[in-house]
Amino acid sequence: MSDAKLATLVARLNEDAASPTAKWTFEGSIPFGDSGGIGADLPRVFRFRLGNGLRLLLLVDKSAPVLSYFTWFRVGSRHEKPGKTGLAHLFEHLMFNETEGLAANEFDRKLEENGAESNAATWLDWTYYYESLPKDRFQLAVKLESERMARLVLREPQVASEKEVVANERRMRVDDDVEGTANEILYKTAFTRHPYHWPTIGWMKDIENFTPEDCVAFYRTYYAPNNATVVVVGDVAEKDVLTRIRDAYGVIPSSDIPEEDTQPEPPQGEPREVTLRKPTPSEKLLVGYRGPALGDADHETCVILNEILFGGRASRLYRDLVTVREACTEVRGWVSTFRDPGLYELYFTARPGIASSRILEALDAQLERVRTELVDNEELGRAKARLELGLLQSLETTSGKAEQIGFYDTVLGDPAAAFRRLERYRRVTAGEVRTAARRYFVDARTIVRVLPEPDTEASPVSAEASA
Amino acid sequence: MTNRFDLDGGAVGFVESSSAVPLVSLVVSVRSGAIVDPEGRDGVCRFAARMLRRGADGMSAQEIESTIDRLGAELALDVGPSTVSFHGQVIRRNIDPFVDLVARILGKPTFSPDEIARLKRESAAELVESRDSDRALANLAFRRTLFAGHPYSRSAAGRLSTVATIERDDVLAAYERHFVRGDVVIGFAGAITEDEAKRLGATLVAAIRVGSRSETKPPEPEKRPGRRLVFVDKPERTQTQTLIGSLGTWPHDDDHHPLVTATAVLGGTFTSRMMREIRSKRGWSYGTSARLSIERRRHAFTMSAAPGVADCAPCVELELQLLEDFVAKGITKRELAFIKNYLVRSYAFEVDTAPKRLGQAMETELLDLPSDYHTRYVDHVRAVTLEAANAATSTRLSAKDVVIIVVGTASETLEAVQKKIPDLASTEVVPFDAD
Repeated sequence: MSDAKLATLVARLNEDAASPTAKWTFEGSIPFGDSGGIGADLPRVFRFRLGNGLRLLLLVDKSAPVLSYFTWFRVGSRHEKPGKTGLAHLFEHLMFNETEGLAANEFDRKLEENGAESNAATWLDWTYYYESLPKDRFQLAVKLESERMARLVLREPQVASEKEVVANERRMRVDDDVEGTANEILYKTAFTRHPYHWPTIGWMKDIENFTPEDCVAFYRTYYAPNNATVVVVGDVAEKDVLTRIRDAYGVIPSSDIPEEDTQPEPPQGEPREVTLRKPTPSEKLLVGYRGPALGDADHETCVILNEILFGGRASRLYRDLVTVREACTEVRGWVSTFRDPGLYELYFTARPGIASSRILEALDAQLERVRTELVDNEELGRAKARLELGLLQSLETTSGKAEQIGFYDTVLGDPAAAFRRLERYRRVTAGEVRTAARRYFVDARTIVRVLPEPDTEASPVSAEASA
Repeated sequence: MTNRFDLDGGAVGFVESSSAVPLVSLVVSVRSGAIVDPEGRDGVCRFAARMLRRGADGMSAQEIESTIDRLGAELALDVGPSTVSFHGQVIRRNIDPFVDLVARILGKPTFSPDEIARLKRESAAELVESRDSDRALANLAFRRTLFAGHPYSRSAAGRLSTVATIERDDVLAAYERHFVRGDVVIGFAGAITEDEAKRLGATLVAAIRVGSRSETKPPEPEKRPGRRLVFVDKPERTQTQTLIGSLGTWPHDDDHHPLVTATAVLGGTFTSRMMREIRSKRGWSYGTSARLSIERRRHAFTMSAAPGVADCAPCVELELQLLEDFVAKGITKRELAFIKNYLVRSYAFEVDTAPKRLGQAMETELLDLPSDYHTRYVDHVRAVTLEAANAATSTRLSAKDVVIIVVGTASETLEAVQKKIPDLASTEVVPFDAD
C-alpha cells in the first residue's frame, strides 16, 4: 500500500476513534532493504503513532503464512537503581504470569494452543517480548500483549516464584559459568559510575530481596504505551492491524516516563586488572577497551576492524593464536551495540598449559600492527562480505526482520538502520580502520584473567603448545 | 515445494527455491557417520571431515578460509551418528565460485601430515575445554550409560585417548569410506532455480569418488533393567544438571507419532507438566523439558532440568514421579486436544523458510524416515487418539528402567539424591575430567 493510501486509511479510521488517545498518526514510511545503489523497489516499514504515544512499525511480508509481533519497551537494566538491579529482567519472567483477565499459565497456554512461538529478552537499554503466530492469529497477539501491558498482576506468590527461577537462571548463566562470571566482572570493573556497571540479570542479593511493591512501581512507570513500540512483520492486512491495535491499546493511559538520570562514565585513565580462580581446565582472558556507542560515527568502522581481527578462521587473531601459535581454542571479539559507549570486548580461551600472559603478548603485537599498518584491501573485502552475509541471514524469518526493525528503532530511532550501516560498511577505508584502532586500543583497558583451580587444571595436550 | 532429482553414481539432489532473501543454502551430506569409526579410533570420521577444509587441490587451509570469507559465505560441519553434513550459505551472486570451492574441498583434500598433527592437538584441547559445559558433561554421561556397548554410546568428537592414536592412514580410510557418490545427498535452498541446482549438484558430485551406497545401519540398542545413577562429580557447583531417560522411539514404530505427541505434553512446551511442576510451581529450574531424539534405530527419551544444589534431590524425585505418572496413566483427553492444536498450528514455523523445508526433505532421505514423515506430519498428529498416545507411553517407556545422570559436586549432593531414588539399582561416580 502506498503512503498516500495509508494516510487516507488512517484518516478514515480516526473518524470513528473512541477518544483522542485512540487516534492514529501516520508518520511516513522507510524503505527496508539493500538498495545497493540501484534504487530497487524495496519493501517499506510504515510508521504510526497512537494518541496515547504507542508507536507501531509495520512491514507487510507475505513470504510465509505467519506473522511476528514484537513489543519493545524502552527500559532496560540501565534504568534500575543500585540495590534493585535485575528488576527489568525479572519482568521478562513476570510478564508471562497472571493478568487481571488471565489466570496463571493462561497466557502461555493461549499462545501455545494457537501454535505460537514466544519469548522475551532484556538488556542494558531495552526489553522486548514477542510471539510469532500463524497469519490468521493476529488478533490473539494484540489481545494478549495489550492485556499484559496494562493489567499485570504483581502479588507475592507470582514474584516469589519468579525470583527463584531467576536465581537459577543466574546460577546457570553466571555463577557456574566461567565466561559468564568473567564477563560480569569485566563490566563491573570497567564501569564505575554508569549503570552498565551492573549485570542485566542483577546481583543475587538484589534478586532475593525484590518485593511486589518494587515490581508494581517499576511496572507503572515503564510499562506504558508511550514507552513502547509494537513491531508487526508478516502476512497481514494494514487496515486489520491498525483497527485491532487501536481498539485494544487506545484505552490504555500513557505514563509519566521519568527523565533518565544516568551518570556518564568518566574516561578510564588507567589499566585495570582482576584475576580470579574457577574450576576450569585452562586459563581464560577477557580484555575490554572502551568502545563507541552504536550511534557513534565510527561504530561501523570498529565493526569492520573487529571482523579483520576476529571474524572467521582467516582473521588475524584466529590465525595467529589458534592456528599458528596453538595458544587458544577460541578467540572472539565484539563491539558492544549499546546506546551509550560500551566496551570493545575480546575473549580468549587458552589451551591447557598456556598462560594468559602469552596470549596478551601476542594480542598486543597484533594490535600494534593494526595501529601502525594499513589493512589490505583483501582483508577489508572479506570483512565487508561477512557483514553482508550476517545481515541477510538475520532477515530469513519474519521474527528476524521484526527484531532488526525493533532493535534499531529502539536504540537509534531508525527502523532501517541495518541497511544504512551496511552502506557505511561498504565505504569504510583502510585509513579509517587504522584511526579507529589508534582511538580505541589504548593502554587504559580492563583485563580479567581466569586461572584454573589447581585440582581442575588440565595437563598440556601437546609439548609444542606448552613450549 | 522441495524437488528431488537424481545425480550421477547414485547421488541424490534436492532443491527448494525461494526469492525471500538473496542467499543460497547448500547442504552436502553422506549417509554414514561417527558410529562406524573403527574400534579405538573414536572420532576419526569427524576428524577426517574437519580435515577437508585444511588444504585441498593446491590450496592451503588459510587460502580456503580466506576464499570462504571473501565470497560472503559460511561452511559448517555437523557429524552425527549416521550422517556427515556440510552446511554452507552464500550470498546469491557468489554461488558458482562457492560451489567450485566446496567441490575442490570434497574431492581433492590434501591431508597434509602437518595439518593432521595440528588438528590432533586442536581436537585434544577442545575435548578438554568441553568440560566447562555441565550440560555437555551430562549428555556425554547419559549417552555412554544408556547405550553402553552400542555404537550410539560413542561421541562423534572421540575421546582424548582415541584422538591421540589417529594417523594419516586412518584419516584417509575414513575419507574413502564416507565420501562416495552412492552415499551423497546434496541440497540447495533459497535464491536458486532447479536448473541451477542440477548443474551445481553435478559439479559437486563429479568431484566425489565413485562408490556404491553403504549407509550406516546400526543394530537395535538393548534395553537394560533398573534405575542406574551416574553422578558426574565436578567441584564448586552451585547448580546441578539432571538427565533422566531411557530408550525412546523409532520413526517406523506404529506408535511413533502418538509417543511424540504424548511426550510434548510431558515436557515439550512452556506449559508442559514439567514446566508447570518444576519451574512454575516450585521455581527449581530455569529450563526443563522432555524430548525424543530420532535416529536410524531406536534412540533416546530424556527429561532434563537444572536445579540448584539444595533442590537437586527433590527435583530428581519429582521428575521420577512425573515419569511414573506419565507411564502409568498417560495423558488426559484435554491435554491431547491442547497439544494437537499446538503441534499442528506451530508447524507453520517448521516450514517458514526454504532452508527449513530443505532440511526436512534431507532428513527424510538421510535417516531413511517414512517418506511422508514430514510432508504429512500434521495429518499424523491429527490422527493420534488418546488410546494410542497412552498405549505408547506405557509400552515404550518405563519409570523403573531408567538412567539418571546428575552433574554436580558429589560431596554436597550425591547422598541426598540417592535417598530420593526408590529402588536404585546402582550408583557410579565419574570424575568430570574422565576420558
